[in-house]
Amino acid sequence: MSVNGVGFLLFVLISVILYYVIPKKYRFSVLLGCSAVFYLSNGVGAAVYMLTTVVFTYGAGLLLDRFGKKRFHCETAEEKKKAKNRLKKQKQAVLAAALVVNFLVLAILKYSGFFLASVNSIFGRTIVTAPSFLLPLGISFYIFQTAGYLIDVYRGKYGAERNFGKYALFAGYFPQLVQGPINRYNELKDTLFGGSDLDWENIRCGILRMMVGILKKAMIADVLAPFVSLVYSDFGNYPGILSFLAAFLYCIQLYCDFSGGVDLLCGVSRLFGVGMAENFNQPYFAVSLADFWRRWHISLGEWMKDYLFYPLAFSPALTKLTKWSRKFLPAEYTKRLTPCICTFVVFLAVGVWQGPGWANVAYGLWNGFWMSLGLLWVPFSQPFKDKLPSGKVFVTVWGVLRTNFLVIIGRYFSNAHNASLGNALSMLKHTVVSPDVTSCSFALLDELGLGVGVMLRLIPALCVLFCISLAKEKGVDLAQWFGNRRGSVQFVLLFAALLLIVMGVYGNDAYTPIAYVYENV
Amino acid sequence: MIEKIYEILEECCPDVDFRTEKNLVDDGLLESLDIVMIVNELAEEFDVRIGVEDILPENFNSAEAMTALVVRLQGEE
Repeated sequence: MSVNGVGFLLFVLISVILYYVIPKKYRFSVLLGCSAVFYLSNGVGAAVYMLTTVVFTYGAGLLLDRFGKKRFHCETAEEKKKAKNRLKKQKQAVLAAALVVNFLVLAILKYSGFFLASVNSIFGRTIVTAPSFLLPLGISFYIFQTAGYLIDVYRGKYGAERNFGKYALFAGYFPQLVQGPINRYNELKDTLFGGSDLDWENIRCGILRMMVGILKKAMIADVLAPFVSLVYSDFGNYPGILSFLAAFLYCIQLYCDFSGGVDLLCGVSRLFGVGMAENFNQPYFAVSLADFWRRWHISLGEWMKDYLFYPLAFSPALTKLTKWSRKFLPAEYTKRLTPCICTFVVFLAVGVWQGPGWANVAYGLWNGFWMSLGLLWVPFSQPFKDKLPSGKVFVTVWGVLRTNFLVIIGRYFSNAHNASLGNALSMLKHTVVSPDVTSCSFALLDELGLGVGVMLRLIPALCVLFCISLAKEKGVDLAQWFGNRRGSVQFVLLFAALLLIVMGVYGNDAYTPIAYVYENV
Repeated sequence: MIEKIYEILEECCPDVDFRTEKNLVDDGLLESLDIVMIVNELAEEFDVRIGVEDILPENFNSAEAMTALVVRLQGEE
């Protein structure tokens, strides 16, 4: 079932009616049933993979919880300490085994083809034929979410969920399955399992958010997608300046696709009164790359911070390295050494997370390099920054332009044709060596799918999105503003906007929904 | 101890007023990179092992909370 089709909206409508008809204490069962129907509609094979992960992580969570609750009856403090250490090692072994199995499934399904193709290319002939695996919908998201749950249970942040149905719902709640966000058990469980009362505020905010999501996805991302795809796959046949334009427009497309999908599904979740983690915060208003990554795919960034960055930063190896570096490096750099290494590793992981292919690895390295350099650069740049007038518009504009330039260059890699590093570098070279600005005409843009008719639909949608984003950046809450209108005005506005979107998008025969970029990540 | 902690904090993050701010993490004044720097400096200065399980907002929201964390860890070792 495609999320951006009319069928999905009908499915949501039926789910919402069922949810509020059933008594409150059974409402989580409706969500579980709907999630099962949604996932099964995407293929039985994918559902089997998911069920396996759910059963396995459920069991591992219970086992970790049992270790955590174990009490010691030792006579001496020394014996107690030994028993504690033994238990800690057992817990570590269980967690490590569970994580290895969990991520191994992801690695085999997602990366084995890439790995074997790389091996074959090293030897210059086919040593092993890469098998073709089914990649279940949203596998990276539910694997990461359940891994985070296991680590939290291991750390004693909360106890394991004992009710299998509730745990299955946490792992497989359908609005989070397509492209996240990566939710946390302790933040989701109350509203997810508790059942919500029918609240107009939730319905209003949910529908508004869904409409913003449809605007982003259907009226911007899917309009830009054909042009971007054409240029990225055949950049050599077009002026180099179009490669840059395609990378620039891909930034808009990706944001509208990814955040639009998240808006749509967070809106759906809000209809059930379930608040999911936020994933975006106007990323293109960021004034530095670090700021960008605090605003882009927030739930993945938080996941990486808690479960990769910190464990790595406080690992025995890096603690030793920091101590050792104190003897040789100035204090300013010793302090920054560990964050610098960990940042680099985290961004490499983010690159690999994007999907198989050396271009994705390069994308991670590109971001890791600038982020780490930014950290090491602080002792040099701080005196200069201190002299700059704070809050001045030109400082902010310069920061935004500089950041977005780095982001656009990064998109040469993350969207390279066939995820090939060679293609990404060639496209970059083509942009610089043969921009050929004079050959770029309206006729060519029209041929590539960016004609006047398309622009007349695209530009108003972009203007609406810009206004919504700017208002949000300034702290204005659209849902709250809307909520302050009279009830009848709200109803008319909602109905009119919904009708316009449904007729304008789904009523248009020419519109074919395009799969979300991160749907099969 | 707290004066030494103020000194470490001000060296790591000169732009933050640690003597008045009481929601350093919740208000976004301290980020993960700052926390790693601070933890390494605290571990070195007070000879304690701060583990990943101690990295909770409530332990880093103020200089007082960090002092309490160090005191607790010194007691455990």
